[in-house]
Amino acid sequence: MAQRSEFTAPNAYTYDQRSVPRWVFSHIRRYWYFALSFYFFFLIAWSCYAGTQVLIGRAVDEIISPSGPSGLMVITLIILSVMVGDGLSGLLGSLSAENVAARFEADARQEFYENLLSKSKGFHDRQRAGDIMARATDDTSQLSHMIAPGITLVSETVMGIVIPLIYIAFIRLELLLVPLCFVAAYIVTAKTYVRRLNPVVHDQREQFGAMNAGLEETISGIEVVKASAREGFEREKFRRNARLFRDFFVRQGYIEARYLPLLLYGIALGLSFLHAMWLYRQGSIQIGQVIAVVGLVNVLRFPTFISIFAFSLIQSGIASANRILKIVRAETDLDENSGGHAAQMRGEIVFEHVGFSYQESGVGSRESGANVSASQPGPLPGPTPDSQPPTPVLADISFRIAAGQTVAIVGQTGSGKSALTQLVNRTYDVGDGRVLIDGVDVRTWSLDSLRSQIGKIEQDIFLFSRSIADNIAFGAPDASREQVIVAAQAAQAHDFISTFPDGYDTVVGERGMTLSGGQRQRIALARAFLSDPRILILDDSTSAIDSATEDQIQQAIRKAQEGRTVLLITHRISQIRWADLILVLEGGRITAAGTHEELLVSSPHYRRIFARYDADLPPLEPAAAEDAALRAA
Amino acid sequence: MGFLFDGLDAEEYDRSYSDGDLVRRILGYFRPQARKMGLAAAMIACAALLDAGIPIFIARSIDTLRADTTISRIALTALALAALGATSWVFNMVRQTLAAQAVGDVVLKMREDACDSVLRRDMSFYDQYASGKIVSRVTSDTAAFSQVMNLSMELISRLLLVFALVGYLATVSLKLTGILLALAPLIVGAALAFRAIARRTITASRRMNAEVSGHIQETVSGIGVAKTFRQEPAIYAEFVRVNGQSLRVNRRTRYVFSSIFPILNILAGIGTAALVYVGGMDVRDGAITAGTWFLFIQGLQSIWFPLTSIASFWSQFQIGLAAGERVFGLIDAEPRVIQTDDVKLPALRGEIRFENMDFSYKAGSRDLGVGSRGDGLSQGSENPSTFEGTLLQPLTPDSRLLTPEWVLKDFSLHIRAGETLALVGHTGSGKSSIAKLVARFYEFQGGRISIDGVDIRRLNLESYRSRLGMVTQTPFLFDGSVRENIRYGRPDAGDAEVLAAARHVGGDEWIAALPRGLDTQVGERGSGLSMGQRQLVALARVLLQDPAIIILDEATASVDPLTEVLIQEGLDTVLAGRTAIVIAHRLSTVRHANRIIVLRKGAIIEEGSHGGLLAADGHYAELYNTYFRHQSLEYIEQARKAA
Repeated sequence: MAQRSEFTAPNAYTYDQRSVPRWVFSHIRRYWYFALSFYFFFLIAWSCYAGTQVLIGRAVDEIISPSGPSGLMVITLIILSVMVGDGLSGLLGSLSAENVAARFEADARQEFYENLLSKSKGFHDRQRAGDIMARATDDTSQLSHMIAPGITLVSETVMGIVIPLIYIAFIRLELLLVPLCFVAAYIVTAKTYVRRLNPVVHDQREQFGAMNAGLEETISGIEVVKASAREGFEREKFRRNARLFRDFFVRQGYIEARYLPLLLYGIALGLSFLHAMWLYRQGSIQIGQVIAVVGLVNVLRFPTFISIFAFSLIQSGIASANRILKIVRAETDLDENSGGHAAQMRGEIVFEHVGFSYQESGVGSRESGANVSASQPGPLPGPTPDSQPPTPVLADISFRIAAGQTVAIVGQTGSGKSALTQLVNRTYDVGDGRVLIDGVDVRTWSLDSLRSQIGKIEQDIFLFSRSIADNIAFGAPDASREQVIVAAQAAQAHDFISTFPDGYDTVVGERGMTLSGGQRQRIALARAFLSDPRILILDDSTSAIDSATEDQIQQAIRKAQEGRTVLLITHRISQIRWADLILVLEGGRITAAGTHEELLVSSPHYRRIFARYDADLPPLEPAAAEDAALRAA
Repeated sequence: MGFLFDGLDAEEYDRSYSDGDLVRRILGYFRPQARKMGLAAAMIACAALLDAGIPIFIARSIDTLRADTTISRIALTALALAALGATSWVFNMVRQTLAAQAVGDVVLKMREDACDSVLRRDMSFYDQYASGKIVSRVTSDTAAFSQVMNLSMELISRLLLVFALVGYLATVSLKLTGILLALAPLIVGAALAFRAIARRTITASRRMNAEVSGHIQETVSGIGVAKTFRQEPAIYAEFVRVNGQSLRVNRRTRYVFSSIFPILNILAGIGTAALVYVGGMDVRDGAITAGTWFLFIQGLQSIWFPLTSIASFWSQFQIGLAAGERVFGLIDAEPRVIQTDDVKLPALRGEIRFENMDFSYKAGSRDLGVGSRGDGLSQGSENPSTFEGTLLQPLTPDSRLLTPEWVLKDFSLHIRAGETLALVGHTGSGKSSIAKLVARFYEFQGGRISIDGVDIRRLNLESYRSRLGMVTQTPFLFDGSVRENIRYGRPDAGDAEVLAAARHVGGDEWIAALPRGLDTQVGERGSGLSMGQRQLVALARVLLQDPAIIILDEATASVDPLTEVLIQEGLDTVLAGRTAIVIAHRLSTVRHANRIIVLRKGAIIEEGSHGGLLAADGHYAELYNTYFRHQSLEYIEQARKAA
């Protein structure tokens, strides 16, 4: 299926994303010459290393031969050059592999990053930032560990077993008996070992996390703990966790202590020796060859013992690749509709019997982020018990907003306020009914034309780690400093910006100066003034601490309302009070709609807000409610 | 494998305990495990000797078997060799099992001690240290410290092997042993040099990775903005630059790390060649046997790996000790709030009296002391420049040297039982301090605070605090259901009582709005609920405790107007009939209080009712215009004109 993409990097290398093995392979193939050189050099290295044992055996024969050690010097020099050759080719092979590993990590990250940029805004709204972060950093570095030391060690295991066995076979084929039995027994016992160890390691890791999280919670809530005199309870909670952890720790110790392959190896060494001496006694091999066999069996030690570690690295690498590809291959569900309706927007918004519910949330966004040390994908942490069809977030919503009006949406958390605004700029598409802008269904509009004329100021305003001027001019990089200042003045931001030593060049955001919620909001408003959208969605939940700030925010929002349609989610009663239309949402339905005066007489809910102020309220007229709702539709 | 790479990321720590102290402390913890550890040590010695014996045995057998090739002799030898390996395996198994038990128990004990100590501390401790840092001291540092023991055992067993083998070799041939030992400094030197280089590259890598993470973090958080304004190409170009840099730095680190083993192999090759030749000539001359010659070549391979691990031991050992210091620093520190008696008030009425009391956050602190310098874990204030008066400055480690900065000086105030008292004032005026002193979260330095006429220092804190309710600005909920959270302060309360409390604070409406009613899971720290819902849960929690005294730090956090109404109405019921100290941010609370205390710099400067104080046109009137005016109906009605 063709990807719908909002961004394509120029001259990007394309990888095969159809499946995890294909994807990993296509990344490695990009540097096939390095991969090849790794195998080439490591074959040499292992042949040298194992060959040394044979040469040492030769040397023995040379030493004890009655004809004198005339060849000893030659053999010594051969041993030296073979061992140096082992070191050098090992070095070259390692560098090749490390190069591929490092590039795989960087390339995969770049591919992932490009893909993130190509995804729609709606897609990103549904992802948790921490989750994406984990994939872009931990998982990509896990990929590089999968190459080196993961795949390299597995390759070494194979070479490190096969090559000594070949040498042994050349000495005497029947000498393979014991080593082959050992390798077979090793595979069986190592598998059993891993099968027993893995769950305990997993439990232990989980328990450590639980212990940490529990204590962290106690300490974060220490005021409550102390004020409720519940230290004893919290102490017991921690002790329970710590004791459980100790049990897992000890059990892991038991299992690790009983690592059978090590015992098998000791026995195999004895038996190989027995076999070789037996053949020596029969006169079919030399004493030097006995020594060579012992040396070669010794070589088997390293590859067999490293393989468990290597396989677990590959396992977690595959799990990481899966997590990355899952995001990469996720379909963005909104259509660009680039050939759609494109026009200068006036700003009339009509909802006709709109119903909406969130679909399956994103791509595995529930899945716990990449675990660096995770050795296997494992099952997802307990599925939430609710697998019933999602409850509708919005149901049968109908209203009409004339161009240029300001509409305040009032309701408790979870009543559907945000969802309602998200349907306007097509962050999501409606389930039922339709949303019309200037009489045209939003799905008929070209997405680009639609979004470019709808501005949105989110509840959490994000500022890039750049200067204030760059942040204000983010959508209009060509704006002059004068234009930036004019926008800032309109947003009531100029005054506080001027108090900073670096003024508009002050760097803000995560790696810069921290601004208060009210300040960030005014910068976002300035940004909106520069880009001048026809419809502005303002999720205004910042609270003013003092009256002076409140005055400024009020003025800035007033200014923003001039000449455009504004959808306002706000907690400011003064904003609600003066909106052209107020929609009261309860549980996804509009229960009242109208102006302040109308709602005071029609909506008991709305009245309660003002009752707190001891205001003189007109008498409640329940009939008026239906009137108002009808007119809104 | 890997020992060479361990401990490379060690940081420097200032230390207050000497190595000797720390080792003594840890031995103290291991004392109950003395039998197990002694046995384990014996096992280590035996296993090391057996391991050293295997190559010796093979070498000897080669010599003897060449002379005597009877079947029984060969079989016996092979059997003995296998038995040697198996016995060593058994010793190691017993050793590891014992060590796992001993270390597991020691770590458990240390964790329990550390956790007990943490829970005993007063609030000044928690103000000073971020929770993550405290947790890592209790959980991770204890584990790291106990590793010192494991590490030392490993090192001892390796050294024993080396010494046993070399000792034996020296008796066989001094010359060849000399060649072998000449190689040792080369190996250790190469390992040390490698570690010095690796440490530098790994630091560079870490810095680079942090930069890449930072960049991605920013993109991911700001992608909505970037997309709205179509700035993808610029962001992508920047990423490609940073990512390329990171590739180069990380690749260099990988190159460094992967080069050490081949280099050591080359060194081993030189040594082997020397032994082959010199030893071979000796065999020829009859100085040694062929078996001995082979033994030396095997011996080289047996000792070079333990030698490389010695290079990493010291820095790992230091990491372990530094962790130990942090743990003991935590365990040894004394809380500053100390009760002198254990008076349980039978029925708390809620009369509070401050008499000429002095209080400073910075006075005479004996804090974590040790270990607190090195890791600088003081926590920044989370609330800059706001009206609310959370804790003042975080304590700096050097605070002991400062003269006390009085937050409240010679402070007197009488709060009658059942009264609702509102505290108003700018940040730093001492509002929160008064509330927290009533909760006995801090020690004061002079004067007296009494509850129902009893000195607060003489009270049994558990019984006193169980009748004290506290609701803070951002209420903290524990992961679990709403029901469990409401029941937190009174675990014995029945479901009916919980429901009654929940209804009492906000009616049925808010419970119905929760997806699963009272069984709704609140999520981590209550993140699954809105701020307004969290406040309602916290209010219900306090109400269920039926406190005689309520301390309320009102939220400034904005809540939607409908929930706000619910909370306000809930508050009215909770406060009725109890002594209430309210740090007021809401105009409506201030107006409904029995008495308003206006604070400035720790002193009461005005006192009275809303109307009276406003009419007096003093400090309160100024505060009103700064903080409360925009909450008034007048303001709301004027909003259109103001713009």
